[in-house]
Amino acid sequence: MLNLIWREYILFKQSMLFFIPFILFLTFFYDGFHTAVIFLGGSFAISFNSYAYDEKAETDILLNSLPYTRKEIIASRYLGGIVHMIVSIAFTSALLFIFNKPYTVTDIAISIALFLVFASLLFPLFHVIKKGYFLTVAVNSFLLITIPGSKVRSFVANLVTAVTEFTSGAMLAAMLIYAVSWGISVIIYERKEF
Amino acid sequence: MENVVELKGVTKNFKGFSVENMNLEVKQGCITGFIGENGAGISTTLKMIMNLLRPDAGEVNIFGMNYRQHEKEIKQRIGFVCDSNVYYEGLNVKDIKRIVAPAYKQWDDALFHRYVDQFELPLNKAIKKFSKGMQMKVSLAIALSHQAELIIMDEPTAGLDSIFRRELLHVLQELKEDRQRTIFFSTHITTDLDRIADYIAFIHKGNLIFNYSTHEIEENYTLVKGSLDLLDWETEQVFVHVHRTSTGFEALAKNIQDVEHTFGNDVIMERASLEDIMYHYKGGMKHAKFNMA
Repeated sequence: MLNLIWREYILFKQSMLFFIPFILFLTFFYDGFHTAVIFLGGSFAISFNSYAYDEKAETDILLNSLPYTRKEIIASRYLGGIVHMIVSIAFTSALLFIFNKPYTVTDIAISIALFLVFASLLFPLFHVIKKGYFLTVAVNSFLLITIPGSKVRSFVANLVTAVTEFTSGAMLAAMLIYAVSWGISVIIYERKEF
Repeated sequence: MENVVELKGVTKNFKGFSVENMNLEVKQGCITGFIGENGAGISTTLKMIMNLLRPDAGEVNIFGMNYRQHEKEIKQRIGFVCDSNVYYEGLNVKDIKRIVAPAYKQWDDALFHRYVDQFELPLNKAIKKFSKGMQMKVSLAIALSHQAELIIMDEPTAGLDSIFRRELLHVLQELKEDRQRTIFFSTHITTDLDRIADYIAFIHKGNLIFNYSTHEIEENYTLVKGSLDLLDWETEQVFVHVHRTSTGFEALAKNIQDVEHTFGNDVIMERASLEDIMYHYKGGMKHAKFNMA
């Protein structure tokens, strides 16, 4: 299991040059938006990087010819998502701290809740959407959340306000959605043929 | 001799194509070549053996175990080479090894580096810069480095130059000498099999035609040549397919005794190569349809 999560960092190594400027960009140019989005951006970048790679290669054939069960492969995606989120939060916190940008624990909590919800929606889609289209869907959904004036952004902004008021409840709900999404992904993946 | 792979009544249906009720056994410690024309069902069968595809009906047992209960144990003991590159093209061999090696309990790093040296693979170059043959060598080096007892390869010699093909066959021969190793691979280059195979499984339009030892094929199949006046409806029954020319006929028979009994010394019999067998079966089907019509 750990090997499968580690795999995503080996792949991520290739994208580091993109990741750091991306977070810096969010840090400096998205001042107007909620700090939670900066954290969210980082978590998104690491998780979806491996999906982007997997979309290009015949990863399903590779992973399924190795001694892993399909349940383990899906588990590594979901547990990996949480690991990436933690890594990204640590990295982004350090950057914000270095550049003296204020943030609170609530911002982090909100970003966690949002990441879990969006990952819950997007992860199962990876196994359903035709190859080559998934990254477009993932990037567009992130842009919709962040581009000023987009309806999704104002919806998310309202969601953020709501989440801020009920952080602990929202967190629990997000975790529940993540768990349900995990179950759905297992069902889809178990039926897949490569 | 024990069977390492057993397919019992395996059926898989796709739109416009199916593998029908296949019963296939791959014997331990032998090299079995898997042949058939393009689209005959070779990759489908290999993928079912790897549990990448699940049969609609029938049973797949590997090392006497099924995938429902023993997926990891089975795959620990298999080295698989796919017909296309399954590795991340942006990564180099070193990183690919870092991803694959930890999955295997018996990964042998020294052996891997021996193959890397033998196949002259650069470790730090992205594999997208490799030729198809080089990418195949990477897959081979990885498949051979974890002491797999069963090595399954889909077209491993495709895209390889003749010198490396010989080198690979030599490697397979070496692996075979250790009687624990079983090798099952598909190829379109049937001359490769003449060199090393113990058994040949031949699939045609989703049906397994035979799974014989090379000795049994030699004993049963024969290429028959003779003059056209020997042919009539009755005598033709001994043939899988007859090819007529202006000077005579060439036909494939699957029972030498039947040919001797029917034609005596009036025909010439020659050893049928695998290519002859495949060619005549392909034509034979057309012939059968023509006869029925």
